Amino acid sequence: MEIRKNRIKQRLRDGKHVIAIENLNDPDLVELFAPNDPHCFWFEGEHSIVNPQNIGDLTRASDLINATSVVRVPRPEYQLIYHAFDLGAQGVAVPHVKSKVDAELVVNASKFSPIGQRGMFTSRQGIGVEDYFNKANDETFVLVFIEDLIAIENLDEILEVDNIDVFFVGPGDLSQELGYIGQPDHPEVRKVVQNTIDRITSAGKVAGTVASITSYEWAMQTGARFFLSGAIDWIQQGFAEIKEVLKQIEN
Amino acid sequence: MEIRRNIAKERLHQGKTVSCFAGWGFSGPDHIERLAPLKPHGIFLEGEHGNVDPANLSNYTRACDIIGATPIVRINQNDQGVIYRTLDLGALGIVVPHVNNKEEAENVVEGGKFYPLGKRGSFTSRQGIGIENYHDLANNQTMLIVLLEDIIAVENLDSILEVDHIDVFMVPSGDLAQSMGLPGQANHPDVQKVVDDTMRRISKKGKITGAIANKDNVKNLYDNGARFFLCDPRPYMAEGFSKYQDFASRNIK
Repeated sequence: MEIRKNRIKQRLRDGKHVIAIENLNDPDLVELFAPNDPHCFWFEGEHSIVNPQNIGDLTRASDLINATSVVRVPRPEYQLIYHAFDLGAQGVAVPHVKSKVDAELVVNASKFSPIGQRGMFTSRQGIGVEDYFNKANDETFVLVFIEDLIAIENLDEILEVDNIDVFFVGPGDLSQELGYIGQPDHPEVRKVVQNTIDRITSAGKVAGTVASITSYEWAMQTGARFFLSGAIDWIQQGFAEIKEVLKQIEN
Repeated sequence: MEIRRNIAKERLHQGKTVSCFAGWGFSGPDHIERLAPLKPHGIFLEGEHGNVDPANLSNYTRACDIIGATPIVRINQNDQGVIYRTLDLGALGIVVPHVNNKEEAENVVEGGKFYPLGKRGSFTSRQGIGIENYHDLANNQTMLIVLLEDIIAVENLDSILEVDHIDVFMVPSGDLAQSMGLPGQANHPDVQKVVDDTMRRISKKGKITGAIANKDNVKNLYDNGARFFLCDPRPYMAEGFSKYQDFASRNIK
């Protein structure tokens, strides 16, 4: 059996964009999305219900419709990271990476030897795959969050760490530290996000950020190529539109 | 404590429209609660074709209650026990598929209402916790919706409409098409004609009808008498995703 290819790693290598769809931490909702050929689902384990009990079901649904699964783990911790991979994630996103040491820990946990020391175990993605341990690294997607001012201070040395696919600039947490809590689209926050994305892309690396209903047009012109987008935004907009039509009919 | 009001039913009987979010694919209460900013009047929980069942109903209906949306559950058989167990677990609305004649419509009312209107099994629902006189108050808050989705039901329409205490009579086209020998052709003109005519007959009798609605067809449905609208989130997600995709493809690659 062949190892399952990581579609978003390939897209990024080809210079294309990736939209990771969040809010659908539910295998049935993932599968319903099949006709739209999504490239990536984001399963939220830092803030939402994703945990070792449901990662198998979520990533299986994603595999079945040929979308890459990315699990955000709660914190940069060695065992948490490879446990997500073991359960079937094709990618891991790690929040609050603040230093080169943190970034190295993420790679060490995500990659088998010779790159790292990921705990030895055959993942769901390795079932029936010959020589899995020598093939897994190529299909393992790694994303780190740059979302603290200290991380921006340490950015140059963080960017020295190899085998990280995306450096994701998180406007939400940055807005908090910059004194604009809850205003990720504030010009001052955007200035910092843009500047950080520029530094990442200048180093020849791939940047990511949030593309929401209020920010996607801006975000997609920053130079970033990996976007985190909420399906709830789309649902809310569609429902609001029909409610508006009804309101006009009734009045 | 006051009994929880059935917002959807109240609106219908005031002549207003109801926008009900169809929770197709939404297999968890946490996802339902996230819909709060949409302010839906109702949430349609799928138990005929989906995963909604007695094991998860109370968690689902609690999530609806907490965001102020009426929990409306489609069950998978016209059985009195199934109807009142679904109400016992917190549903405020019941949708019964394939109601084909007067007796079947009466069965829905018997299972859905306490004495003197029916003979719903005596039990205090989740919705009755701490409510004095729950058994006297419950009937007013219980909404009953029947699906007329076989051509035989259309033939029996006049006698079905004689049954009181049914709040909405819907005419879904998917099964109807099948029963007309046109499987998978819900949009066939012959099917649509039957749907339109039937909806108009229902509203002419002073009864309420409803349908699956989108922003393009809702005006026509409204003109045919529909006031209960089921809103499918799947096209919204598809539209939103392709809008972002198009923008990214134009600006990136």
